[in-house]
Amino acid sequence: MEHVIEEKATSLTFSDVVKGRLGGKTMTLCYQCGTCASSCPVAKITPRFNPREIIKLSLLGEKDEVISGDAIWLCCSCYNCQERCPQKVEIADVIYALRNIALKEGYIPNIYSEFASALLNDGRIVKVSRFVENKRPTIGLPPLQPTGVDALRKILSATGFDKLQQKKEGVS
Amino acid sequence: MDDVKVGVFLSDCGKQLSEILDFNALTDYVKSVSGVAMIGRSSEFWRGEGLQFIVDAIKGGKINRVVVAESLPKLSEVNIVQAVEKAGLNPYLVEVIDLKDHCAWPHRGTPSEATEKAKAMLLAAIERAKLLEPIEKLEFPALKSVLVIGGGIAGMQTAIDLADLGFEVHLVEKAPFLGGLAARAGRFFPTDDCAICIQSPASDVKTITHTSKKCVYRSGFSAIPNLNILANSKVVGVEGVPGNYKVTIEKKPRYVNELKCVRCDLCTTVCPVEVPDEYNAKLKTRKAIYMNIPNVHPPVYIIDESVCKFHDCAKCVEVCPTAAIELDQKSERSTMNVGGIIVATGFREFDSSIIKEYHYGDYPDVVTNLELARMIDGFGPTGGVIVRPSDRKPAKKVVFVQCVGSRDRRYNPYCSSICCMISLKHAALIKSAYPGTDVTICYIDIRTPGREHEDYYERAREMGIKFVKGRPTEILRDPETNRLIVDVEDALAKKFLEIDADLVVLAPAMVPAEGTKELAEILGIELDKDGFFKEYNAKLRPTETKLRGIYLCGGATFPKDAPTASLHAHSVAIKAAKFLITGKIIKDQRTAVVHEDYCGDCEFCPVTCPYGAISLEPTSEDHLVARISDLLCEGCGICVGTCPLNAIELRHSRPNQMLAQMKALMSVNGTSKPLVLVICCSECGHTAVDSSGMAMMQYPANVRVMKVPCTGILQVHQFLEAFKAGAQGVMVVGCKSDGCHYEVGSQKAEKKVELARILLKEYGIDPERLKMFNMVFIEGNKFAEAAQTMTERLEKLGSLQLMGGS
Repeated sequence: MEHVIEEKATSLTFSDVVKGRLGGKTMTLCYQCGTCASSCPVAKITPRFNPREIIKLSLLGEKDEVISGDAIWLCCSCYNCQERCPQKVEIADVIYALRNIALKEGYIPNIYSEFASALLNDGRIVKVSRFVENKRPTIGLPPLQPTGVDALRKILSATGFDKLQQKKEGVS
Repeated sequence: MDDVKVGVFLSDCGKQLSEILDFNALTDYVKSVSGVAMIGRSSEFWRGEGLQFIVDAIKGGKINRVVVAESLPKLSEVNIVQAVEKAGLNPYLVEVIDLKDHCAWPHRGTPSEATEKAKAMLLAAIERAKLLEPIEKLEFPALKSVLVIGGGIAGMQTAIDLADLGFEVHLVEKAPFLGGLAARAGRFFPTDDCAICIQSPASDVKTITHTSKKCVYRSGFSAIPNLNILANSKVVGVEGVPGNYKVTIEKKPRYVNELKCVRCDLCTTVCPVEVPDEYNAKLKTRKAIYMNIPNVHPPVYIIDESVCKFHDCAKCVEVCPTAAIELDQKSERSTMNVGGIIVATGFREFDSSIIKEYHYGDYPDVVTNLELARMIDGFGPTGGVIVRPSDRKPAKKVVFVQCVGSRDRRYNPYCSSICCMISLKHAALIKSAYPGTDVTICYIDIRTPGREHEDYYERAREMGIKFVKGRPTEILRDPETNRLIVDVEDALAKKFLEIDADLVVLAPAMVPAEGTKELAEILGIELDKDGFFKEYNAKLRPTETKLRGIYLCGGATFPKDAPTASLHAHSVAIKAAKFLITGKIIKDQRTAVVHEDYCGDCEFCPVTCPYGAISLEPTSEDHLVARISDLLCEGCGICVGTCPLNAIELRHSRPNQMLAQMKALMSVNGTSKPLVLVICCSECGHTAVDSSGMAMMQYPANVRVMKVPCTGILQVHQFLEAFKAGAQGVMVVGCKSDGCHYEVGSQKAEKKVELARILLKEYGIDPERLKMFNMVFIEGNKFAEAAQTMTERLEKLGSLQLMGGS
């Protein structure tokens, strides 16, 4: 019994943390009408993502389920849900907040992590392949310029992004 | 003026008080106060021999001011004042204080300190009594006539009630026919009866039986001699005061003489103009000359002036057998005088076309509940058949969408409260008439509070009506088949559904009737944040507005079902009747009075007065001064607190009376603690002090309480005067800021206190010496704690040294 109470106490904190983030304050307005879900192009094609459920779980404080799963990373940020929500819940923004929390806790799908590390190392999210480089002159495009990765690193360092990435790499 | 002779009467409450307070010391002290002509002591003064003693003293001419120390003054004062008035003395020359709950009980632990405080309290009462002035009762005329605005179910019923009570009633309806929303809705829950039936008037006529359930047209309603029904009319101006308003009504032309029309229908037969019938959801057409439905009132055709060709056609004029059609009618204005006004303007459906994704107004097969009601009505355009408006074929699959524009923070955040029931009613009516119809209701929450309402929900499930817990994101239309698709998630089944439908019925929010805002402006009354008329107090005065004489009922205050609207209508009739029935309004002159010689031009008070009692009027010297209506003024004193020139006073709470009280309360300390002056409003603030005493909560005797009508009367300089009079700390206790009995008084006081604290700081006085509190009766403990805390704080701060040394 004690165990249950303890768990409840910690989970309450999670929903408060989300409420404290940008857009999070509006979360309590949700009455689970599901307008977001039926507006969502992703939810329509996969049962792995449902914005209504994400809001509900966040309100219930189900931290582990929310931040360790891949659901929050499936949002395509079309903002259809937010546009149509009758309660003005900032759903897409809440999902960004959840992603940020997940990231801090070291949860990030590998593909995102790879993008991040590529950005830090090469200044590009996707490495340019030899094939692409060779193809460019054939359609009249100039060769790609260097990315100015030094400036980019400075920006990423100033925002603390590099540290997050190091943490992630340390974890994995 | 006669010499002031104060009689002071000390009740020891059956010797309870004399065990704590030294009554001999108190009487000795009172004897020494100038102006005191008589002292009495008894176990009670509010009834029996004690009260007779006071009465005899007045009759014998021994006294002309009365101070009584009696327990439960809020109860005993009524008796005392009534007896004093009977004895021939003006009842406003009486001051009653409470030595029990304000002194003996809370300070029982320190009897000698309590006695010293009692002296100060008595002195304050005597000093105030000496300065009191007689206040007269005024009489204003009250016309025994009422204007009812809105001829829906609420307006009609209240009009009948008041007419039955003998009032002259004018019932004004904007539309050409009475009945309002209920008439269109056809049937109402929970009985599935005709919505438009009413209870017949009490008149004893052969054809009228006094049962309920009478169609308006056979109720005898229109034959009530003292009821004047004005359809197709609206209120365009209101002036005057409660009890005597002058109302201007504009009657739009009907082009058909109500007294001549015999409703033979020849005119509609020959009329060549045919337009979609809005009243009947455009499911049929009507002529330019028309009636909504056959059983309406008045039973007279009307010409739609926006489409009629008038003299270019005039076919109707040719055929009319009674020459009832008058194409040259013009708008007419008339005025009438009424004592009271009842607003019964109701509500309407929200315009669903604003929510683009539901395509209302765009897809013909998306309709609203009110439009569906026309199809369900046997008198309606489809004769009771549920059809797809696009091709008039029977609708086999019907989907309801709840909360369209209500519970929606983009449009109307509130729950319209009746739409779940309307949809359940409609779904069941469809299902019982056409059991093969597939009916689905998409909902967020089904709300069915009310007697027998849950039965509707249960029955609907039994009938096989499907419920989907989800608000659709969009209504789509298959471009090939033209059928509708409702895109929704059922949250309980965790399934995305694309429900195929012939007909989609929206349950729109219910919003204030058109013209609500304009009418509120004409009447000078307030609207709430959702745009409905705001009642004075939801619990205690649910049919009254802040202005006496103007009342509300029915859906004008919030969407209501027919039974609730009806309840409201009967209730408002009693309120209006109570106000006007004697033909006069008696009101005492506990009101504000303006010193016209130094009032001028600033316009603060008329804006601040919660009751619209102050107007600005030019004087001969060509400047504006405030004029206060004794009828409208409620005597709160908020104007006094607002006036920058101290040009307004309350007759029953003049500055010199307040100052004398203040000085007296601070004149005797008798404790080792710093003196605290508590300024309470006479409503919640003072009762919080009462309740702390009643519950025998303890706080120190250096805390002295002074009562004002409302804390809104206080001015910044009065706080400074309190310190000058010897207070080391000042507590202001008012009602909760949203619960002030005079609307804004405690909010105003709060601002005044804030300002005074800034000023105190400038003077080098710790602002913590002045604090505002908001309390209600049951918070006596809060008062005792605050008094204790304030005392401790002042002890820490040390003695206050004022400039000039005092």
